[in-house]
Amino acid sequence: MTEALECQLLVIGGGSTGAGVAWDAALRGFQVILADRGDLATGTAGRFHGLLHSGGRYVVRDPAGARECARENVILRRVASAAIEDTGGLFVTTPLDDLDYADRFLAACPAAEVPVEEISPAEALRREPRLTPAVRRAFAVRDGSIDSWKLIWSCARGAEQLGARILPYHPVTAILRDGDRVTGARLHDLRSGDELDVRAECVINAAGAWSGRVAQMAGCEVAVRPGKGVMVAINHRLANCVVNRCHMTGDGDIVVPSHSVSVIGTTDTPVEDPDDIEATAEEVASMMAAGDVLLPGFSRSRALRVWSGARPLLPKTAAAVGDDREVSRSHAVIRHAQRDALGGLISIAGGKLTTFRLMAKDTVDAACAELGVEKSCTTAETPLPGSTGSNYYRLPDHQADFEKGRADNPMICECELVSQADLLEAARVHPKGQIDDLRRVLRVGMGPCQGGFCAFRIAGLLHGHGAYDRTEANATLRAFVQERWKGQRRVLWGQQLRQARLDTWIFQGVLDIEHLPT
Amino acid sequence: MITDALVIGAGTAGLTAGIRLARGGLRVTVVASGEGCLPLASGTIDVLGFAPEAVQSPRGALPGFLDANPEHPYRISGLAGLEQSLAWFVKTTEPLGYHGELSRNQWVPTVLGGLRPTALVPRSMAAADLGAGGEVLIAGIRGFRDFHPALLAANLGRAAAAPAPAIRTRAVELEWPGSAGDMPPFRLARRLEDPEIRRRLAAQLHSQLGDATAVGLPAVLGRERAAEVHADLEQRLGRPVFEIPGLPPSLPGLRLFDCMRRALLDAGGRLLMGSTAISATHHRDTVDSVTITQASRPVKVSTGFVVLATGGFATGGIVRQPDGQLQEPVFGLPVHGLAPGQEPFGDVYLAEHPLDRVGLSTDAEGRPLGVAGGPHAVNLYAAGAVLAGALPWREKSGEGVSLATGWHAAEAILSGRREDAA
Repeated sequence: MTEALECQLLVIGGGSTGAGVAWDAALRGFQVILADRGDLATGTAGRFHGLLHSGGRYVVRDPAGARECARENVILRRVASAAIEDTGGLFVTTPLDDLDYADRFLAACPAAEVPVEEISPAEALRREPRLTPAVRRAFAVRDGSIDSWKLIWSCARGAEQLGARILPYHPVTAILRDGDRVTGARLHDLRSGDELDVRAECVINAAGAWSGRVAQMAGCEVAVRPGKGVMVAINHRLANCVVNRCHMTGDGDIVVPSHSVSVIGTTDTPVEDPDDIEATAEEVASMMAAGDVLLPGFSRSRALRVWSGARPLLPKTAAAVGDDREVSRSHAVIRHAQRDALGGLISIAGGKLTTFRLMAKDTVDAACAELGVEKSCTTAETPLPGSTGSNYYRLPDHQADFEKGRADNPMICECELVSQADLLEAARVHPKGQIDDLRRVLRVGMGPCQGGFCAFRIAGLLHGHGAYDRTEANATLRAFVQERWKGQRRVLWGQQLRQARLDTWIFQGVLDIEHLPT
Repeated sequence: MITDALVIGAGTAGLTAGIRLARGGLRVTVVASGEGCLPLASGTIDVLGFAPEAVQSPRGALPGFLDANPEHPYRISGLAGLEQSLAWFVKTTEPLGYHGELSRNQWVPTVLGGLRPTALVPRSMAAADLGAGGEVLIAGIRGFRDFHPALLAANLGRAAAAPAPAIRTRAVELEWPGSAGDMPPFRLARRLEDPEIRRRLAAQLHSQLGDATAVGLPAVLGRERAAEVHADLEQRLGRPVFEIPGLPPSLPGLRLFDCMRRALLDAGGRLLMGSTAISATHHRDTVDSVTITQASRPVKVSTGFVVLATGGFATGGIVRQPDGQLQEPVFGLPVHGLAPGQEPFGDVYLAEHPLDRVGLSTDAEGRPLGVAGGPHAVNLYAAGAVLAGALPWREKSGEGVSLATGWHAAEAILSGRREDAA
C-alpha cells in the first residue's frame, strides 16, 4: 500500500548533515521530513573518533578549512554544549616528527584564528602523564570531544518540536520527478513493509558518502569518493585531553577521549563501496603500533572494539590523487537546477562533523534560493535542546546523576551506568527501537563486556514492559550479539579475549540463545 | 613449600583431581587465582548435549561422537572413565543431591526459556527436567534484573520440540519484601535463608498456583542453607520447586564450589586462593617445582606431580597475545588447534570459530605434549578446558570433560604410585 505525505523540504540522510539541515530548516519555519535508510547517526557521523576540531590539524595544509573549524568550534560550544566534553587538546612533537613543522604550525595558527599556546614538555607531561616522555614541543589547543549521537538526536528532537517528521528505517527507493523537476521521493518503510511517497518542494540529498547513489536515482552525479577511516577504542581514558602528533597528518596520529574510553584514529583509504569498509587485521595492528608513538604502552592496552567510517570526500580536481589527505575536506553545495537543469534537488557533499552546522546553513540557504524565499539562519544563536552554552558533558556527572535515586532503580548496564529508568525512558522515546538503536542513545553494550550482561536484561525487561513480543525480543537479542561481534573479532587478545569468552559462555552456555524456540 | 601433588586451578577439573589425590593419600595443594570458574557456571553437569544434533542419550551418542572427533578430550578417559567419574562426583557432592543418568539427558530451562540438555542436576533443579512436558508457574522477583519471567515463560511455552509433550507456562512477578533496588543474586540468596521472607513470598505465590505442577524460580534459593530453603518452599507450596540458573554469579555454581572445597579440605588437601602459578623448573624429564605467587611474592613449591587445570581463554589458562601468538603461561606448552596465520574468528558469532577448539594436546594418559612432540614432563598432567579439541558451550560438554579428565589425571598419578610401590 502506498501512503503519501507532503512537506516543503525532504531531507535524505540522518547523519550530522541531514539532522543539521532538518534543525536549521525547521528553525526557519519550513515543514521538514527527514528520512534515513537506517537509524539516525548510523553512517559516518556515528562511526568517527569523536573529535571536535580546534582547527589545529589543518592549519598548515588548509588554513581556510582550519579557520572554518575554529569558528564552528566556538559556535558549537555555545549551541551544543551538552554534546561536548571540553577536554582541550595537545599537539606534541615526538622524536619521529620534524621540529620545523612545529614552527610552521605555531606560525600558521593566528592567521587561521586557531587559539594556541605553547607549553613546556614538562607541563604537557604534568597534564598527561602517559604522554611519551620524549616529547620535544607541545601546544595546547581548543580541541574537544563531541558525542555525535547526542548531537544528532538533539538536532532531530529540536526539529521535531518545531513540527518536523523524522523517519528512520525508511530507505529511498526512487526519486520522484515531474519532467525537469524533482517532486519528492518514494520511501520503503522497513518496519511495516509499506511504501510511502513524500512530495516535497525541494529534496535535499544529505546522504554523505552515499550521496552519489541518491543523486544517481535522480539521474545526475555527485562525485563523492568514500574514504575509509579505521578507529580502535581502548577501555580506559589513556589521556584526558585530545592528543595529536604535531606533523603533517598521518595514520593513527590522534587519540580522543570519548566517555570512558580512548579512541585512536585513523586511516584514509579510498573505497568503492561505503558499505564495505571492515577494518583489516593489518590496519588494527598499525593503529596499535602508532599509538605507542604518542602514549608508550598503548599497544599493550586492552582494545575493546574496532570500527571504520566512510568519509564523504570531495575530490577538489581530477588531479587530486596520491595521499588522500590532500583532498579537501571542505564541503560543496550543489544546486542541480543550475548544474543539471533539474529543479527541486540540492546535494551537499564533503565536510566534517565539526562544520556540520555551517554545511547545514549553506544547504538551507541554497534551498531558500531554490524556493525563492528569504529566511535567515539562526542556528549559530539558538541552543539545541538540552544545551545551555555552558553545560558541557563531564564524565563524573554521569556517575553523580546515576547515584541519585539509585536505590529503587536497578542498574542494567554496569559498564556505562545505565539504569532501568533510563532504559524504559529511551524505549518510550524510541518505541520500535532495537537494542542496537537504544545503544546509540544510552551507550548500552559499549563497555568492556560489549553487551554480555545487559543485552539479556534489556530484552527481558522490554518484553516485560510490552515493547517487544516474544519473537521480537529473541530476534533483537540475537541481532545485537551479532552486531557487537563484528567490531570485536579483530581486537580479541589478552584480557579482552578473556572477556569475550565469558560472553560466549553466557550467550552460548548459560542462555543458549542459539537454540531458543522460534 | 613442599607437596606431593600440585593442582593448578580450582574449577571442576582441578577440584576433582585434588580431592581424588588427597583421598588417595597424597599431600595435595590446589592453587587458584580466584574462586575458579564455578561461579560462572550453571551448576549442572553437562556431558554431551549437541553432537551437533540434539543428544538424548550421551551414553548412546558418545562412541559415534568420539569416532567423529578423535581429538576430543573424552578420548583420554573413555566412556568407562567418564561413567566412573560421574558416579564419584555424585557421591562426593552428596549434600547437593546431584542426580541423573548418562543414558538420558534432562532438558532444563534456561533463564531465557529455552531447554538445555544436561546429564546431572542438583536437587534444587530436580523438577526442572521438562523433557516430558508439564505445567509450570515461573515466578520472578520484581526488580531483579537477571530474571524476566514473562519472556522466560513465553519462550518455554514454545520450547518443547514436537512430538514432545507440550509445556504450559504462566509467569508471575513477586513483590520483594523491602527495597527492590539493585539486587545481586548473593543478597537475594542470603535473605531467602530467612524463613519470614520465604513465608511472605510463598503467601504471594499461593493464590497464583492454579494447576501448576511445579514452580520455577531464579536460582537464588540460599547458599549455605540452600537445602533447607528449597525443602521449605516445596513444603509451603505443596509441589516441586526448581531453580533456573542465570547470569553469573551463579549460586548453584558457588554451592558446588563450596561443596567440593569442603571435600578437598576434609580429605586433607590444602587450597591456596589468590595464588597464581607463574613458572616451573624441570629436572630432566620431570617438573620438580612450580613458582606460585602468594601475597604477590613468588614462592617455590617443590612437587612430585602437577595437574594443570587452568581452563581455556575464559579463565586465563590460555592467552592470546596482540600479535596472535597463543601461550600457555605457566609451562610455555605449545598450544594446538590453529594453523600459523589462520584467522581465529569468523564473521558469524554463533558459528564455530577456528579458535574454539584450541588448547593443549596430550598423550593417551593426559600428559600435555611439549615442543619436541612427546610429553612435556612425565609427571605433568592436564585436565579440563585447557585441553584442545572440545567445544564445551556448543556441545554442552564442559563439566563432563572437566570431571572425566580431572578424575583421570588423578587416576594416572595414583596408579603410577601403586605400580612404583609394588
